[in-house]
Amino acid sequence: MKTSHYVSLVACAALFAGCATVAPNELVDARAAYQVASQGPAQQLVPADLHKAHEALNLAEQSFLKEPDSYKTKDLAYVAQRKAEQAAALGSTAASRASKEGANADFTQKQSEIVLQGKRDLSDSERRTAEARAEIDKQAAIKAARDQAEADSQVQQAQSQRQQAEIEQGKQNLRDSENRAAAKQAELEKLAAVKAANDKADADSQRQQADLQRQQADLQKQQADILQGKQDLKASEQRTADAVASLASLASLKEEERGLVLTLSGSVLFQSAKTTLMPPAQLKLDQVATALLAIPARNLIVEGYTDSRGADAYNQDLSQHRADAVRDYLIRKGYPANRIQAQGKGKGSPVAKNDSAEGRANNRRVEIVIERESKP
Amino acid sequence: MTQRSRIGIKLFVVAAATTIFAGCASVPLRTEASTSGIRTAEEAGAANVPQAALHLQLAREEQETAKNWAARGEKEKAQSMLMRAESDAELAVALSHQDAERSEALAAVERVRQLRKDNQ
Repeated sequence: MKTSHYVSLVACAALFAGCATVAPNELVDARAAYQVASQGPAQQLVPADLHKAHEALNLAEQSFLKEPDSYKTKDLAYVAQRKAEQAAALGSTAASRASKEGANADFTQKQSEIVLQGKRDLSDSERRTAEARAEIDKQAAIKAARDQAEADSQVQQAQSQRQQAEIEQGKQNLRDSENRAAAKQAELEKLAAVKAANDKADADSQRQQADLQRQQADLQKQQADILQGKQDLKASEQRTADAVASLASLASLKEEERGLVLTLSGSVLFQSAKTTLMPPAQLKLDQVATALLAIPARNLIVEGYTDSRGADAYNQDLSQHRADAVRDYLIRKGYPANRIQAQGKGKGSPVAKNDSAEGRANNRRVEIVIERESKP
Repeated sequence: MTQRSRIGIKLFVVAAATTIFAGCASVPLRTEASTSGIRTAEEAGAANVPQAALHLQLAREEQETAKNWAARGEKEKAQSMLMRAESDAELAVALSHQDAERSEALAAVERVRQLRKDNQ
């Protein structure tokens, strides 16, 4: 309606244009500006502002009708142009605002859609994730079962290996035990040997002790024997002295290099050319035997002598028999036979001259040599 | 109440005052409305929008012209010139708002486009 009203105004102006002056540029521009503004968004979006522009243009037109070329008409047209341009700008601004609001609405809607889609996607993703997780869990369960089986297998294998190792260890332990037993046995044997050695040593020691004791006993015995021997020796010496004194009283007794020599006259012992002891001779030999038996462990040599008359062989034989007779008699009286020797000396070793009866009587003799040391 | 409405009210008050005191020749030129309009345009960032900056400059020059005429005793011409200054200042404000709103709209559209592109 405003446009039609404006068109009528323009038509009126055109009618007067032929008889009036030409409209100033300001008014022409104002008309064009209003035309532009009325065809833009201002008519729909800012009709009030467009109406103000229209009123301003009306004022300019009315002033143009009254004062076509006045400054007032130009200024009103100028203001009308600015009002029209302002209405157009405000319309554009409103359009931009509407566009912005629409864009914001679209943005919000799009955001909502995106959020909704995102939620759906999220839901789908969660569902797929859950499915994938379930599948993963399933696979994991399968893997776990497989791993468990492998682990069981490994455990069994390890157990088997451990058992094998334990068997080996048992064998090793057995070997070690055997070795230790052997070592122990060896040690025991060694100890036994040591013990035996010790026992032996002890036994030796005991034996040595016993030997020592025995030796001591022997020593004591020997000492006792020595003492006894001394006593015996003393007694023997006494007996010997007694025997020697007795023998000295019985016959001639001389101390020679070979020992004591007891000389018995042959006339006392034997008849001439006889080898049998006369009774007085036996009595004398009994005394001699008694004296000799008082002296133990002395070797005796009975030597028979003759005078120089007669053959030597005869004298030799006679002297031997006479020595044997004395020897036998002494043995019968108890003197040890092994300690008595009998030797016939014949006419050898005369003690006197054979040219006289007295001398020959002295040469017919029997000598009993009592050796100094007894020989077993 | 929007900023544009407040500006309109201010201009209306200034215009009414100008009209009331216009008949009195001895009344000095009242430039409050044009001055307020120019300051509003400056606050709206008209200096940063080429077309708005042009009209802001025109408003300043027209106000200065009006002052000169008023100084020479041409009160009516000065008063009419102040109407030019006021209309240029208002247009500078509208153009500043238009530019800002267009930029925001383009940004919103671009944001939607980018969003759609990112979520294809």
